Amino acid sequence: MKVSELAAALDLKYVSGAQAQDREISGCYIGDLLSWVMGRALGGNVWITIMSNINIVAVASLTEAACVLLAENVVPDENVIKKAEMQDVIILSSGKTAYELAVKLYDITK
Amino acid sequence: MKELSLHILDIVQNSVKAGASEIEIDINEDILKNLLEIDITDNGCGMSEEFLKTVKDPFSTTRTTRKVGMGISLFEAAAVQCGGYLEIESEQGNGTSLKVFFEYDNIDRAPLGNMAETMITVIMGAPDINYVYKHRKAGKEFVFVADDIKNALGGVPIDSPEILNWVKEYISEGLENAGINM
Repeated sequence: MKVSELAAALDLKYVSGAQAQDREISGCYIGDLLSWVMGRALGGNVWITIMSNINIVAVASLTEAACVLLAENVVPDENVIKKAEMQDVIILSSGKTAYELAVKLYDITK
Repeated sequence: MKELSLHILDIVQNSVKAGASEIEIDINEDILKNLLEIDITDNGCGMSEEFLKTVKDPFSTTRTTRKVGMGISLFEAAAVQCGGYLEIESEQGNGTSLKVFFEYDNIDRAPLGNMAETMITVIMGAPDINYVYKHRKAGKEFVFVADDIKNALGGVPIDSPEILNWVKEYISEGLENAGINM
């Protein structure tokens, strides 16, 4: 499944990286402690989090997650969005909780 | 919390409640030592030895309306999470000093946040207090002293909207000129 299909199915907004929406996704990781996510998220994962500081761009980029999915209407600062665009990191956003997003993601990918 | 400045805001509110007339916020970004240090010192009423022992406990507070006042515990957690720690010294009648240390480049260290906004917020909350804000990075320093501004204003309240706006610009530019990017 592509990020664009995920965004359409879960009604997600693009915060950054809309130009890279053809990227393939595989699996999902949920977590907010960045060092923890660093060692566990896998390449291609949809990473669901409520963290929105600049370090999420670094973690997404280093783990090669397909995209960052911000739950509960979390909005990152402008400098985070700029950095994400520079690093080709896709950030999506939703008003739903991480749990609701994960359940829906499971439904559409199983 | 998303940014360390929100913790600073919280701690400064403690100092205000402690009846301080001067509150100093001292930030040192020591990249060579990979250290970020935030010190907050006030001349408020201080804490008893007994209370000081329990202050890092998330279930301790001086507030009676709510059982859990978590300011110091949360700040400590933010530091410990990235290899740092929190020290607190206080003496009844002689104020309180809080020192919080962070590993500068730790991925779990939250960004500092916007200090100009933070200073405006604390000034609005309690404009009579003399806030001293010092920020050092790579040998450069920015210093803001609220009483200096008040003296220069000659009676115009520091918390009037135009002055606050000016103060915000003054701090933002001062930090930028010292090579401290927010």
